[in-house]
Amino acid sequence: MTDQIIKIENVKYRYKGSAEDSLDDVSLTVKAGETLLLCGASGSGKTSVIRLINGLIPHYYNGELAGNVTVAGKNIAETELCDLAGTVGTVFQNPRSQFFSVDTDGEIVFGPENVGLPPSEIRKRKVQVVSEMGIEKLLDRSLFELSGGEKQRIACASVAALLPEIILLDEPSSNLDWAAMENLREIILTWKKQGKTVIVSEHRLWYLSGIIDRAVFMKKGRIAGTWNGEDFAKIPEKELQEMALRPTAADRKYADLFRDDEPEKSETGTEPKDDPAVIAAGRETVSGNDGIILRDFYFSYKKKPYIFRRHKFTKEDGEDLSLCVPELSLPKGKVIAVVGRNGTGKSTFLRCLCGLEKDCTGSLEADGVTYKGRKRIGFSYMVMQDVNHQLFTDSVAAEVLLSMTVKDEKRCLEILRRLGLLGYKDTHPMALSGGQKQRVAIASAIAAGAELLLFDEPTSGLDYAHMVKVGKMLRELADGGSTVLVSTHDPELIRLCCDTELVIRRGRASFREFLQ
Amino acid sequence: MRLDPRTKLFMVFVVSAIVMMSATTPLLWAVRIAVTMVPIVLLITEKHYASAFRFLVLYGIALALLFGLLSEGSTGIVAALLLGYCCIIVQFLPAMITAWYVVRTTKIGDFVSAMQRMHVPDGITISLAVVMRFFPTIKEEYASIRDAMKMRGVMLGGGNAAKMIEFRMIPLLFSCVNIGDELSAAAITRGLGGKVKRTSATELHMKAADWLMVVAFIAAAAVFVVFKYVV
Repeated sequence: MTDQIIKIENVKYRYKGSAEDSLDDVSLTVKAGETLLLCGASGSGKTSVIRLINGLIPHYYNGELAGNVTVAGKNIAETELCDLAGTVGTVFQNPRSQFFSVDTDGEIVFGPENVGLPPSEIRKRKVQVVSEMGIEKLLDRSLFELSGGEKQRIACASVAALLPEIILLDEPSSNLDWAAMENLREIILTWKKQGKTVIVSEHRLWYLSGIIDRAVFMKKGRIAGTWNGEDFAKIPEKELQEMALRPTAADRKYADLFRDDEPEKSETGTEPKDDPAVIAAGRETVSGNDGIILRDFYFSYKKKPYIFRRHKFTKEDGEDLSLCVPELSLPKGKVIAVVGRNGTGKSTFLRCLCGLEKDCTGSLEADGVTYKGRKRIGFSYMVMQDVNHQLFTDSVAAEVLLSMTVKDEKRCLEILRRLGLLGYKDTHPMALSGGQKQRVAIASAIAAGAELLLFDEPTSGLDYAHMVKVGKMLRELADGGSTVLVSTHDPELIRLCCDTELVIRRGRASFREFLQ
Repeated sequence: MRLDPRTKLFMVFVVSAIVMMSATTPLLWAVRIAVTMVPIVLLITEKHYASAFRFLVLYGIALALLFGLLSEGSTGIVAALLLGYCCIIVQFLPAMITAWYVVRTTKIGDFVSAMQRMHVPDGITISLAVVMRFFPTIKEEYASIRDAMKMRGVMLGGGNAAKMIEFRMIPLLFSCVNIGDELSAAAITRGLGGKVKRTSATELHMKAADWLMVVAFIAAAAVFVVFKYVV
């Protein structure tokens, strides 16, 4: 009996203002020391279960709750949130909104300070947690200069500093690259070894293979299936897809591709050697006439001091360059995956390509026309990871019209129809779902006449069904004549829709033949 | 040299008071300039060379212009503008430098700890800490909104000033409200708002340098008050 640390009994829950139940008769018991995976499509109730256990439901989010939740012997409905702080810890999805401090040290001690531990004890815990997680290097830094993976490690450390018995992770990999996910796996393993109860709600499943004891599949607010870890790993991919789940194992070849460009490896000696296939693929596309040719894309974040004229970056800057692409030809009408580790220049490449970095003087050439400087902005358009930043007006149609120099209602409706948004033309963009917002952003890019569409990690945080939708949409865009560049950490997406892969290593780009 | 946040707050308080009293005699001018030099020197000891240099040059130029070029007999529009400009800088820059020094060199943890030692209610302390945390967030969000506007070519709002502000503010407000909401949920799960008295990992001690600074600033304030209003 004492063995069962979490007991959820016949819980029904409906958020205030929502028409449907988010949880419908959910019963779940978790044994102490168990590592549990919660999986299921977006909106299936995974996050609600997490919130039931950490008490945010019913104490922070208002709604109708029926049923009983007991965590570590405490009845959640009758326990104040602050009394749960030492028992349940939660790592949230978005690193930018779970930090309370500006510096890493302050963040780690924030929890222990809140529960009123004596200063000497707080410092002792900090030292302990820091050595457990191996984050000595991250101490005394500003949180705002850390990478996504580093932020997530600090988030884990600051939760662990409260020494909770139960640790919940709500889609923790959404903002992580391949290496950071493997690091997260190590952290979960550490907790598992310490005997903590760990519950992970997640779409990306491969990095958890082998460490989960039990998988719980949720569908429309109900628990629709439970497997033990081994059986779950054996579910054939076809069946997983029907459940809208991503694969439980990552393909070997992608694992190699994503790990390929770890700086530790490439720094050992000369340039990472390109296998002949890569070079051949690159040449082939250069010789073709119908490509979009990039010339002289150089950029560095290390600004040189200047007095009158800003320094323009050239090839001679060599090792200082964060981006160095002398000449590259992108095949037209294709979906091109841009892969590489975080911090190797993927987003710099995309930013320079669409003209956001003024100091980058590269030019684009397509159909004999050269686009330089500000003209690049009209030619290429980037759909950002947080698409909310890109929506400015109060209706979908207005959003599309805003991008047109000549306001053409008919063309606007045509574009909306193509993207399946016609029914929403008068809706406020902020009232749409994430995927619909993404399509609105694309619609406005097409309206502006952009031929080169750039996507910055469009599928992180999406379930399999939504990812398939995005993949199809990218495919259709390419078939419609646009050239699509998509930066991604998801091998599933590459397999779904990409024609070729552009590997970025330390700011240098090279094509890789698509390994079919 | 690291000063205690309480000393720093006291400095801000005294300098603000001195700034509001005009210097009339050479002695008062000397005190005022000395008080201004203290935060500049402190900025240098904390390795903020660039800002210390910038403040020093700005203040120096304003002083030199005020005493060297301008006099009560100056006439003309250029002299009038210069006079106004120099007076404002000489009058208020000291407070600005001190505030800059305090904001740049105080860690939030130390600041919170100092506020607790002074028995300021947690509600006020935490709100101030969150405000400090939110500035960089707003900066990041604003930068990505500007990028998005650049790509859409709507930086000037299509020539409409109201739109120019609308396009910036609405996405910014949306994301700040969302971040704020998620942030408070995250903070509550980590025990914020409990009945237990919060503690602080940093223990503060007033050192010799702190007391020296406090005494020096009390003296400066006293000189101003005595020579202006008593003698």
